[in-house]
Amino acid sequence: MQTVTSLTGAFPRSEVLVEATRDLDRGRTTPEAVQELVLRTEADVARLEERLGLEPPTGGYLRWQDLFRPFAETWEGFTVGPLTRWFETNQFYRQPILHAPPARVPGAIASWLPPAGKSGPHPRKAILPGPYTFSGLVDNRSGETSEALTHRLGRLLGEEVHELHLAGYTAFQFQQPLLVSHPPEGVRAEAVVAAYKAIETAAAGATTAVWTFFGDAQPSWPLLTRLPVSLVGVDLSETDALKLAPSTERRGLGLGVIDPRTSLVEDPAEVVRLARSIAERHRPSTLWIGPGAPLDLLPWEPATRKLHGLPAVRQGLESLGGGS
Amino acid sequence: MTDRLFPTQEIGSLMKPRWQLLGQRGEPLDTAAQTDFARWNDLLHFVPGDDPMVRKFLGDRSREVGADTVRDWAALFMIRYLEATGLDRVYDGEARRIEMYEYPVRQMRGFQFLGHVRSFDNKYYLKAAGTGEVRLDRPYHVEEFEFVRDHAKATPKLPITGPYTLADWSYNEYYLRRHEGWKGPEVRRSAQRDFVVEIAKQAIRPTLAALIEKGCKVIQIDEPAAGTHPHEAEIVAEAFNAATEGLDAEFSMHICFSDYRPLFPALLEAKRCTQWAWEFANRDTDGRDGYEILKMFNEYGDTRQIGLGVLDPHRDEVESPERVKDRILRAVKILGDPRRIWVNPDCGLRTRRLDIAYAKLQNMDRGAKLARAEFASRAG
Repeated sequence: MQTVTSLTGAFPRSEVLVEATRDLDRGRTTPEAVQELVLRTEADVARLEERLGLEPPTGGYLRWQDLFRPFAETWEGFTVGPLTRWFETNQFYRQPILHAPPARVPGAIASWLPPAGKSGPHPRKAILPGPYTFSGLVDNRSGETSEALTHRLGRLLGEEVHELHLAGYTAFQFQQPLLVSHPPEGVRAEAVVAAYKAIETAAAGATTAVWTFFGDAQPSWPLLTRLPVSLVGVDLSETDALKLAPSTERRGLGLGVIDPRTSLVEDPAEVVRLARSIAERHRPSTLWIGPGAPLDLLPWEPATRKLHGLPAVRQGLESLGGGS
Repeated sequence: MTDRLFPTQEIGSLMKPRWQLLGQRGEPLDTAAQTDFARWNDLLHFVPGDDPMVRKFLGDRSREVGADTVRDWAALFMIRYLEATGLDRVYDGEARRIEMYEYPVRQMRGFQFLGHVRSFDNKYYLKAAGTGEVRLDRPYHVEEFEFVRDHAKATPKLPITGPYTLADWSYNEYYLRRHEGWKGPEVRRSAQRDFVVEIAKQAIRPTLAALIEKGCKVIQIDEPAAGTHPHEAEIVAEAFNAATEGLDAEFSMHICFSDYRPLFPALLEAKRCTQWAWEFANRDTDGRDGYEILKMFNEYGDTRQIGLGVLDPHRDEVESPERVKDRILRAVKILGDPRRIWVNPDCGLRTRRLDIAYAKLQNMDRGAKLARAEFASRAG
C-alpha cells in the first residue's frame, strides 16, 4: 500500500494577502500588486507542500473566490448569482446561474490555476467541482434536467481534465460534498456514474479522486464504490470509515484526518492508529491522507500548524508496514 | 408595551454616516459629509446647531471634537432617526459597534484570536478559538444602553449577540480537548453544547443581568448562526434559556436568512423567548409567499409574538405602505391573532443608504397604520 499525503482543498489566504485584498476593495492598492502577491503566496504554499511531502502540489487555490467562480465567470451559459451559504459553514459562495446548457471555453480554467513556478514546485494537482455538486448547487434555468446537467458537466469536466493533463497536471480531485450531504438516488445516481465514466475516459490514466466532506459518506458509499475513479476520500470527522463496506476491487482510499472546523491540532499518533485500522479493513492500493475538508475554514497560521502533523502521520503509517 | 395593534420596532444596525467615520478618525469633514450632517440635523435636531463644538466639527477643526463626542452624536442621530419614522421600539442603530462578534468576545476570557477567515470574496472576519474556561471580564453594552435609555423617547430595545452565534463563529478547543480519542460528530456536538451553554451562563447572563439592573426591559438576542447547523437547534434553545434564566425582561430571538423549517420544533424549547423576530420579506418575491413559514408555528401550537420582517434590507426598492399592509394582513390570516404581530425590517438596514432606509422605515410605519385602519373598520 502506498501512502500519500496531500492537500485536498483550498488553503487559507495569508494575513498579508487578506490585507492586500481588503485594500484592493477599498481602492488602496492596485489589481497588479495583489496579483503579484497572489503569485508569490501560491508559490509559498507550493513550497510548504513540498517541504511537508504533500503531493502533488496544488498551490492552494488562493485566487478562487469559491469552488464555482472560475466556471461561472468563464464558461458560456453562466452568470454569477447571489451569495449563498456554503453548506453548514459561515462561508458563502456566489451561486452560479445557468441560463442555457453550459459550454466550456478552452484555456479558461487553466488561467485560474497557478502557472508553472519559476522558483518553486509546479502545482500538478487540480481540484475541481464534482459534477453532482456542481449541477446541484447552480440555479439551473437552462431547461435541462438535473440528471442531464450532471452528465453534461461530467463530459465538460472531462475535457478540462484532458486539457490540464496535457499541461502537466497529473492528479484530478473532484469536490463532492453534496454527494454525502444530499445523496442521489435512482436516475440521479446513474447520472453521477455516467459523468465519472466520461471523466475517466478523458483522464487517460491520470489519477482521479472524488473527495467527500460536510456529511457522512455511509449512505452514499454503495454509489461511491461504483464510481470509476482512482480513489474516494471521506472526511473522518463526519464518517466512521470502519463501518464502510470494503470495496470489492482493490483501489485507493482517501482519509480526511485534519478537521478544519477546529483549530485544535490532531494528535498524529491518534491519527495513525485510526488510519491503520481503517486501512486494515479496506486494504486500499493507495492511502491518501489529508484535510477532511478545505482548510480555508481556518486562518493561515493554524492551518499551517495542523498541516505540519501530516509528515508524522505518513511516517507512522509507513513504519507500521504501510509504506510503498 | 404598546396597546395598539401592529407596533413597530427596529431590528439591527444602520449604515454609519460618513461624518461619523471621518469624525471618529479626527479627519476634517468634506463638503458631502458636512452637507449630510446639516441636512439630517435640520430634520431631526439631534444636536443644537449653534453648539460651538458642532461649529468646530462642521468647520475644519473636527479633530478638536474627539471621537467620543462624535460617537455620542451618531448615537443621538440614530435614536432620533428611528423615532422620527414612528417606531415604538428603538435603539441607536448600533452606532458605537463595529461588528457583532469580535467586541463581545474581547470582553471575555478563555478566547484567543487566531487570524482572519474568509466569509466570501475579499470579505473576512477575525476568528477566535475558545482555549480556556469562558469567563466574563465585565458586562458590556451597559454604557451604550444607559445613553440610549437617557435620550430615547420611545422604548429602547437592546440587541446582543447570542451565545450560540458566538460559539459557532469561534473554534472550540478547550471543550473539545476535554474529550479523549477521535473527535467524531457526537464528540463535537457534545463539546459544542458545553461551549455554548458555558458562554450563555458565564458571559451572556451576567451581561443581561447588568443591563436589566440599569433598566433594560426589552432585549433582542441575535442568533444569526442558528440556521447554520439545524440539527443543533436544541442547543440554541438550551443556551437561550440558560442565558435568560431568572431574569425579568422581554426576550426576543432574531434569526435571518436561514431555512427555518428544520429548526422546528427543537427551537421552540427556548421557553423564555417571548418573540420570534425573523426575516420574511426577503423570501417574499418571485411569486413565493415568504410568510407561509408562519404556518409552522400553528402546526406546533406556538402562540408567541412574531417580529414580522416586512422590509427587505438587501434591496433599494422602497416597499410601499400597501405592500407592508398586505404582508401584515397575510401574517394575520395565518396566525389568527393580530395582537401577536410586531412589525420590523427583516434585519438591520446597514447595507442601505440612510435616506433609503429612512424611506423604508417611514413606509413601514404607514403600512402598519393602514393595517390598523383596516382592522378598525372591520371592528366598526
